[in-house]
Amino acid sequence: MPKLKRSFSAHNSRDLLFALALITPALVVLLSLSIYPLIYSITISLQTETADGIKWGVSNFTRLISDAFFLTAMAHTFIYAVVALVFEFLIGLSLALLLNSQIRGRTLFRAALLVPMMLPTVVVGVVWRLMLNPNFGAINGTLKEVGVNTEPLTWTASPKLALLSVIAVDVWQWTPFVFLVLLAGLQAIPQEPYEAALIDGSSRWQTFRYVTLPLLKPAILIALLLRTMDLLRVFDQIFILTEGGPGFATETISLYIYRTAFRFFDFGYAAAMSFVLLALTNVISTIYIRFLQTKQTPT
Amino acid sequence: MLALCGCRSNREPSLKQLTLAVNSGVEGDALKQAALDYERQTGVHINIAEFPYANLFEKELIDVNAKTGAYDLIMLDDPWFPRFATKQFLTDLGPLMQKRGQAGPDPDFIPTSIALCRYPYQTGALYALPYVGNSQLFFYRKDLFEKHKLNEPLKWDDVLAAAKTIQENEHEGGKTYGYVMRAAQGNAAVADFMPIFWAFGGEMFDGSGMPTVNSPQGIAALKFMIELGKYSPPGYPSFNADEVGAHLLQGTAAMSINWPAWISSFSDATKSKVIGKMAFTTLPAAVKDGQAEIGNWLIAIPKDSRNAEAAIDFLLWTTSSEQMKLSAQRGNPPTRRSVFRDAELVAKFPSYPAQLKSLETSRPRPRTPQWNEIENVFGIFLSKANSGELTAEDAMNQANAEIEKIVQRAQ
Repeated sequence: MPKLKRSFSAHNSRDLLFALALITPALVVLLSLSIYPLIYSITISLQTETADGIKWGVSNFTRLISDAFFLTAMAHTFIYAVVALVFEFLIGLSLALLLNSQIRGRTLFRAALLVPMMLPTVVVGVVWRLMLNPNFGAINGTLKEVGVNTEPLTWTASPKLALLSVIAVDVWQWTPFVFLVLLAGLQAIPQEPYEAALIDGSSRWQTFRYVTLPLLKPAILIALLLRTMDLLRVFDQIFILTEGGPGFATETISLYIYRTAFRFFDFGYAAAMSFVLLALTNVISTIYIRFLQTKQTPT
Repeated sequence: MLALCGCRSNREPSLKQLTLAVNSGVEGDALKQAALDYERQTGVHINIAEFPYANLFEKELIDVNAKTGAYDLIMLDDPWFPRFATKQFLTDLGPLMQKRGQAGPDPDFIPTSIALCRYPYQTGALYALPYVGNSQLFFYRKDLFEKHKLNEPLKWDDVLAAAKTIQENEHEGGKTYGYVMRAAQGNAAVADFMPIFWAFGGEMFDGSGMPTVNSPQGIAALKFMIELGKYSPPGYPSFNADEVGAHLLQGTAAMSINWPAWISSFSDATKSKVIGKMAFTTLPAAVKDGQAEIGNWLIAIPKDSRNAEAAIDFLLWTTSSEQMKLSAQRGNPPTRRSVFRDAELVAKFPSYPAQLKSLETSRPRPRTPQWNEIENVFGIFLSKANSGELTAEDAMNQANAEIEKIVQRAQ
């Protein structure tokens, strides 16, 4: 009770005002840059433009279900995210384990491995676009030199290879990120558990499976979480590499949202799609975070 | 954003200042030069807001939607025009011109170009003036045509036969493909397909505005495109203008549909391996006469411009024949007959007679405010058919169904 009384005293209400004054700028920025646009985008997602003017309703959301382009773009996004994630994780983990051991020149390797991640995505997109060009590109040029028939290898121009090609570029650019996080995780693991395992006579596989992996779990989950969120909203490198083509073969949900908003000027429908993407990203992130919180103790 | 901008509209108009939204590229550069000349002559200060092609449309549409009046003159690629005109976003130029003693646009303007500036198309009020008179041309290697004694490409069948002969016989120093086309989804595939589609008798819409791309003529046209694609370099379903240009300049392809902007690069020794070997002509025919797709740059005055009077003076000045000749010398095809026939210019640009003929007989893309969306969908299915993902019939049927959805949504 005395505490409560004190908080209403004149002295403290001045404190309160002062505190309010201090948080006001942040609050204004947050309101105008985050909250207002969020509310605005909710309202426009509930509006459709018709010949008779603006109509309110959920028609933008019902349209999603019957829009084959939206569903295909969603499917592409998930295939893209899952395949890229698996490869980035496996390669990233292998490299991290390799460079965590005492091999010669590992400082050099570590530095070199980070280069792709440092490059702007747009630059990576343009470089790979040139390399993957079926007629003038370096990849087909090299393959031709070693005697491969490159006629059917049209990479980003082939409906079968296009998605794989853009995934390969993502793996090339972002595996270093996974590697970096996992390497940091590995170096944070203390020596004692390994010594104990050695004394108990565990094999290398057993050490990896029952010591390294459980202790690395937080780092793994953080790497996967960040990559997943990034992969689900992938835009720039696909935009540069294929613009979603050929046909619709590499169109992801972000590209489709961009097109709908800025090429067709249908902001309502674009906002509705963005909310679906946001909801899915949230669900997936929550699952990851659950894992991270509940199973931190090694088993 | 709306609330912030609405309150400025009753400010006094300044007569000494204009703001132009221009495309960054050769078209915009010529207009920027003209603006400097105008400033020197009249003292009217001109601000230039320059944007790359992809951003220009969004910037302009957002501006007119929000009624900021930020721009007094905007450059429009002609397929965008219906989107602006249907919503009453542009100033009717008629009354402003009458005030200056002009009953209508100068008859020297090419009718197909002026028709684009009217809403409804060809018959309605005038909301813009044409500045750059692009229309497609058919590019071919006249040296190879002479060498193999081929017919001039007057009909699409001649083109196919020539593509076959050239591809089978030209192997010196690497392969020469018979034809090169661009079939990347979106604008590229549609632009390369439309002249074939029209020549085969296809029409995108019937009288009631419903799509008819899957007509027998439309399907036949797409089958022909795929057939011609067999003589195009591998990967063409992802090609855009750059790849087509590269193949022609390197001499690795013998024919294509292309835009006049590329012509000058063929005589540039640093880029071209085919100097003096290219010919430019109008588009081939099939069951109907060949027609090019028109692609003009227009200049309009947004309705919320506070300087419409000063803007129309600049607009009339910059589209006058003397100014257009200067713009032509800077690389832009004109929209006036007198400039196309100017002896000095014809000497400099030998393809002008062919360009004039192509432009006068050209056709616009369908005049609908939903064109961006329709073109996107149509392009996706054309690209899919060319990459072998769908048959011509399936592609056209699916395209028709999707276009119908867009049309119905807009109603």
